[in-house]
Amino acid sequence: MHVLAVMAQQQPAQPEGETSGGVLGVFEWLGTHFIGLFNESGEQFVGLITGILPTLIVLLTFMYALTTFIGEQRVTRAVQWSARWWITRYTVMPIIAVLMLTNPMCYSFGRFLPERHKPAFYDSAVSFVHPVTTFFPYANAGELFVWLGIANGVTQLGESTVPLALRYFLVGILVIFIRGIVTEKITAFMIKRTGRTEVFADFDREFEAAKAGGR
Amino acid sequence: MSEMETHTSRAVFVKPGPGGWGRGLLLRTDGTRTKVLSVTGGGIHPVAARIAELAGAEAVDGFTTTVPDDQVVAAVINCGGTARIGVYPRKGIPTVDVYPGAPGGPLAQFITEDLFVSAVGVDQVAPSTTDDAPVEEGAAAQRPAVPPREERPSSREVAATVAGGGKFGQTFNSVTGVFVKFGSGVGSFVNTMLAAGRQTVDLTLKTILPFMAYVSLLLGIVTYTGVAEWMGRVLSPIASNPIGLVAISFVVALPFLSPILGPGAAIAQVIGTLMGSQIAIGALPVQYALPTLFAINGQVGCDFVPVGLALGEAKPETVAVGTPAVLVSRMVTAPLAVVIAWAASFGL
Repeated sequence: MHVLAVMAQQQPAQPEGETSGGVLGVFEWLGTHFIGLFNESGEQFVGLITGILPTLIVLLTFMYALTTFIGEQRVTRAVQWSARWWITRYTVMPIIAVLMLTNPMCYSFGRFLPERHKPAFYDSAVSFVHPVTTFFPYANAGELFVWLGIANGVTQLGESTVPLALRYFLVGILVIFIRGIVTEKITAFMIKRTGRTEVFADFDREFEAAKAGGR
Repeated sequence: MSEMETHTSRAVFVKPGPGGWGRGLLLRTDGTRTKVLSVTGGGIHPVAARIAELAGAEAVDGFTTTVPDDQVVAAVINCGGTARIGVYPRKGIPTVDVYPGAPGGPLAQFITEDLFVSAVGVDQVAPSTTDDAPVEEGAAAQRPAVPPREERPSSREVAATVAGGGKFGQTFNSVTGVFVKFGSGVGSFVNTMLAAGRQTVDLTLKTILPFMAYVSLLLGIVTYTGVAEWMGRVLSPIASNPIGLVAISFVVALPFLSPILGPGAAIAQVIGTLMGSQIAIGALPVQYALPTLFAINGQVGCDFVPVGLALGEAKPETVAVGTPAVLVSRMVTAPLAVVIAWAASFGL
């Protein structure tokens, strides 16, 4: 429908009598541009399939196998270790979570944190699911085109996307770190503002008790 | 609703709508399961309200509160994408999608006919005519057919059963023990690789290729009709200076917009692709690619905050303070991210 609407708008711009057969000419024009539109789309599709897909498929296979070999237990230990300090909590922890568990299961690692840090960890981890697709597309394969859309444009200019990918990845890490810290502060403020200081103090005690019991 | 009615457990049948997936769900409240969770980006969706009304349950806004999983009769979601669509089926909670979603994304294996139905409107929700409670109970409690890897017998265990017991079996085992060990090691390696390949192809077919098809059509139309150039003229003055990009990031991070723009990153992906086409024709300078990536994505995950927190086993109080905290935080960090990205893009 949209296609036809676009064409209808363009039609008056076509000078009358340019084609020989009046009514037939209109249909000729419509026919040419109708199929032309889909030929163009088809070329785009072939470009994506031959350009991106082959590498993506073997890379995905390799990374899925690797995560199976490494195993969830080892990852869990690394994550528990990184949950202790504020610097690693919003850098190493979300990165491991996203790389190993992928979107959306990565957020389940929030369970290793006290309640007051969970929103900040979520914010940090979810903000990494697009920068991560530059080198590790398997981690969020359903949402590749935030990165690939832009990268595709750069490729078409004949430039390498690697420098851009590297910077996106590194700036991504810096941004999730800042986001974690800021959200942690705002969460603390919200706890105070809504009069839940006592509730969260209880949660902290529960968390400490559970941790002590778990060891 | 009268007192007596709330105690009566009535079955509700939810069938798939036009273009929907699944064969329908029979929902019913019982002792603990009394809540219909509406996870539709804030507010209670009419479908959730209708199910709750017919089943004598309570509709709860999952965007502002969390409910323990064992109290949920069904979850009503609006997801055509990656995350929410699988989260509830994975927990064994019957899931009603108001969009025409079908199994896809990383949790596709959990989205079964027993737990999922999609393209549901208010018209698809009706009191059940067949009142066979036991079947429904079974269906609701049923776990996905494929058990997780840890619960499946290992290849070693399977190999051990081949020779059987008895004297012959013992001799056979001792002789071939080394080979069995070696063989099962190789077997488990090959099987892991094969499973990874299968997972990849599944994902490619169900998620990546459909999106590529759709993106190609969009790009084809935009390029062929000249809309791309027209857009370039409008967008390039905004997107080719840092202040314009900061403004974009601030707008998409506004707390009342960000949860709407989030689902499946669909909007960010389309804008990303369009911006890419602008870079390709030279309307946007390449050095703005990096800040653009952050500008169009300030809303990432804002639709998913309560669900993401619930995955981390957060308590309802945490969701209550955490959701606004994340949304408000974005108004600061999204423009900041663009500025950092802009500073980092010199020399590209």
